[in-house]
Amino acid sequence: MKATQGTTYRMLGSRLNDVSNRLEELRTIGATGKKLNKPSDAPASIRPVLNTRKQLSNVDRYLATMGKSLDTMQATDGHLNQVENVMQRAKEIMTNAVNGALSDADRATLAEEMALLREELLDAANGAVDGKYLFAGYQEDTKPFVVNASYTAAGYDPNDSTTWPVRYFGDGNATSLEISTGELIQVNLTGNDLFLGTSTWDPANPNSIATGRYDLFAELTQAEEALRGNDLAAMQTSIDELEGAAEQNRRLRSQLGNRADRVETAMEYQKGVQIDLEQILSRYENADAIEAFNAIVQQETAFQAALNVTAKVSALSILDYI
Amino acid sequence: MTSLLNALNAGKTSLLTNQKSIEIVGNNIANVNTEGYSRQRAELMQIPAVNFGDFFIGQGVTVSDVSRDYSLFISRQLQSKSIEYGEEMGKSNSLAELERIFNVSEDNLAGQINDFFDAWQELTANPSGQVERDVVIQRGQLLGEAFSHITDELDRVEQNMNTEIVSEVETLNEKIAEIARLNDRINLVEISGQTANSARDQRDLLIKDLSETLGVKTYTDNRGMLNVQLPGGMPLVQGNIAATITTVTTGTDVNLQLKIAGSTLDIPLENLGGKMKGMFEIRDVFIDGLRNDLNTLAIDLTDAVNDAHATGWFINPATGLPDTGQDFFKDITATIPPEVPSRRVEVAFTDPRLIAAAGQSTAAPGDNEAALRIAQLEVTHKVSGTNDTFDNFFSKMVATVGIEAARNDLALKGAKDATIQLQNLRDGYSGVSLEEEMIDLIQYQRGFESSAKFLATVDEMMNALLQLKG
Repeated sequence: MKATQGTTYRMLGSRLNDVSNRLEELRTIGATGKKLNKPSDAPASIRPVLNTRKQLSNVDRYLATMGKSLDTMQATDGHLNQVENVMQRAKEIMTNAVNGALSDADRATLAEEMALLREELLDAANGAVDGKYLFAGYQEDTKPFVVNASYTAAGYDPNDSTTWPVRYFGDGNATSLEISTGELIQVNLTGNDLFLGTSTWDPANPNSIATGRYDLFAELTQAEEALRGNDLAAMQTSIDELEGAAEQNRRLRSQLGNRADRVETAMEYQKGVQIDLEQILSRYENADAIEAFNAIVQQETAFQAALNVTAKVSALSILDYI
Repeated sequence: MTSLLNALNAGKTSLLTNQKSIEIVGNNIANVNTEGYSRQRAELMQIPAVNFGDFFIGQGVTVSDVSRDYSLFISRQLQSKSIEYGEEMGKSNSLAELERIFNVSEDNLAGQINDFFDAWQELTANPSGQVERDVVIQRGQLLGEAFSHITDELDRVEQNMNTEIVSEVETLNEKIAEIARLNDRINLVEISGQTANSARDQRDLLIKDLSETLGVKTYTDNRGMLNVQLPGGMPLVQGNIAATITTVTTGTDVNLQLKIAGSTLDIPLENLGGKMKGMFEIRDVFIDGLRNDLNTLAIDLTDAVNDAHATGWFINPATGLPDTGQDFFKDITATIPPEVPSRRVEVAFTDPRLIAAAGQSTAAPGDNEAALRIAQLEVTHKVSGTNDTFDNFFSKMVATVGIEAARNDLALKGAKDATIQLQNLRDGYSGVSLEEEMIDLIQYQRGFESSAKFLATVDEMMNALLQLKG
C-alpha cells in the first residue's frame, strides 16, 4: 500500500467537493430562512406542512366569512332597532288613545300616524345591503314585503296569508355560513319569522300565523282600524298585541345578538388558531437563523482548512529534493 | 581474452537492462494520471551462467518480463461497487427533477386544491355574486391546469430519460465491441508468452464503465478472454464475439433489445443493473406509481365535486327555469387509454350561471346549500380506498418523492465514498507513486553509471593489454 498522486488528489478533490456542497446547502438555508426547501430535506414534515397551510388558508377564509356575517348582522340589527322604535311608538299611540279623552280629529291624526308607522315598518322590512334584501330568505333579490291591495278588514283571516295586509314574497330559509370546520351559523333572520309570526313559509300555499306569534303589519293595520272605528275594546286588545309583537321582535333581535357574539368569539378564537398554526408551520419550515449562520461559519472554516491542506500538498514534491 | 570480452558483454547487458528499466519508469511517470493504468515493472533475471572449467560465470542481466501491479480481488470489488454507484446515479438526476415537480412551495397542487375549495367557501357567503362565481370557474380551470402541468412535467422527465438511454446505448455498443477486440488482442499477444499489460488495463477500465452503466457480470475463460453477461445472464461478449444493444420505441417508452447471433431478445428490467436499472426503475416503477396516484386524485376529486354539484340547483339560462344534474368538471371516471385522466381535469362549462350553488329546487339566489356541501368536501371527503383528504393524498405523493430522493442521496453518497475508498485501495496497489518512481529512477541511473564505469575499466584493461604487444 502506498500513497500515490492519484489517491492524494482524489481525496482532496472529494473532500473539497463535500465541504463546498454542504456549504452550498447551508447558504441556501441561510438565504431562504427555510430548512424545508425540497421534499427530501424532511419527508416526514411534508404532510404536516401542507396540512397546516390548508388550515391556515381555511382560517383566513373563515375570518373573511365571519367579518361579512358580522356586517350583515349589524345591518340587520340597525333595522331591528328601527322596528323596535316603530312598535314602541305604536304602543304609545294606542295607550294615549285609550287613556285620553280624544276627539275624532285627534284619533284620525293618530290613525294617520299609525299608517305612517306601518310604512316605516315596511321600509325596515324591505331593508337591503348591497342590493340584497335582508329579510327575504333565499329570495334575496325579490322585494319581500308588498302591500296587499286586495286587503279588507272583513276578509282578514290569520290562517290565510293571501288576506293579510302585507304579503310576503321571500321564503323561509335562513342563510348559514361555515365559521369554523363543520360549524355552521345562521347569519340572518327571515322576514316571515320576524314580521309575520311563522317560522315556516310555503310560498305556494296560504300560510297561517303560529299560535302566540304576531303579524306585525296586521297588528299595526288593526290598531289603525281600531283608532278609526273608535273601538275601545279593539284598542285595548291592540295594546296587548302590540306589546307581544314588540316582544317577538326583541326576542329574535336578542337571538341575533347572541349569534353575533358567538361569531365575535369565534373570530377571536380563529385569530388565536391562526397564530398557533403559523408557529407550527414555522417550526417545520423555518430554519433557526442563529443556528444556520453558526453552521455556515463553521463550514467556511472547514472549507478554508481543506483549501489550505490542498495548497500545502501541492507545495510538497520529491522533485524539490533530488 | 575470452573473459574480458565476456565482461564487455555483461556490461552491455547491464547498460541495456538499466536503460530498459528507466524506459519503464519513464512510462510509469508518463501515465501517472492515466485512469486505469497499472504500474509496470521490469522483471530482471540474470542470464544463465556459463561453465568455464571449474567455474560458473554469470553472463549479465536481462529483462525477462514487464509485469504490472494488479490485484484481481480489488478489481472485482471496485466492479461490484460501481454497479451500486451506477444504479443510484441513474436515479439521482430524475429524482432531482421530480423533487422540483412535487415541490413544497405554496403554489403546488395542494395549494391549488386549497384555492379551489376556498373559492367555493367564498361563494357560500354570496351565492348569487357574479365575481364569486367567476372565481370558482377560474379556480377550477387553474386546478385542471395544475394537474395537466404535473402530467406534462412527468412526461418531460420520461422523455429526457428516454433520450439519455438512447445516447447511452450508442457508447455502450462501442465499449462492448472494444472488449471483444481487446479479448482477441490479449489472446494473440499472450499466446506468444508476453503479457498484454496495457490491453488488460484498458479492458478493466471498460468493464468498470460497463458495470456502472449495465451492472455486468464477468468471468474469464481458459484463453484469458473475458466473457461479459448482463445481470440476468444474457451474454454481451463471448470470447471475441460482441452482442449489440438496440433501442426500440414502444408507445412513448424506449426499451432495450439484445442482438446476438442473428436473434433479437427483449431485455427486461431484471436483466439490467447499474445506471440503466436505476433509470428504468424510476421510469417504469416510480414515475408510473406517481402517475397512478395523480390519476386517482384527479378522478376522485372531479367525481366528488361532480356528485355534490349534480345535486345542486341553478337557473338554467336557456330556459330561465331551475335546473339540476349539471356536472362541474367533465366526467373522467371512464377515460379510455391513451387518454390520461390527470390531463383532462376541465371545468364542464364557462357560463358562471351554470354553477349550482343552491340546494333547493327553487334555485333561489341566496341559496348556498350546495356550495356549502362542495366547500366542505375539502375537509370531509376521503379519497377512495384511503383515509386521506385531497391535499393529504397529494402530500403523501410529495413525501414518497422526498423519501426516495433522500434515500437516493444517502445511498449515492455512500456508494461514492465506497468507490473512492476502493479506487484509493487500487491506486495504493496498482497506482503510480512519483516518489517510488523517482527512487527507481535514481536506482537505475546508478546501475547504468556503474555499468558504464565498469565498461570503461574493462576498456582500459584491454588497452593495457594491447600496449603490451607494442
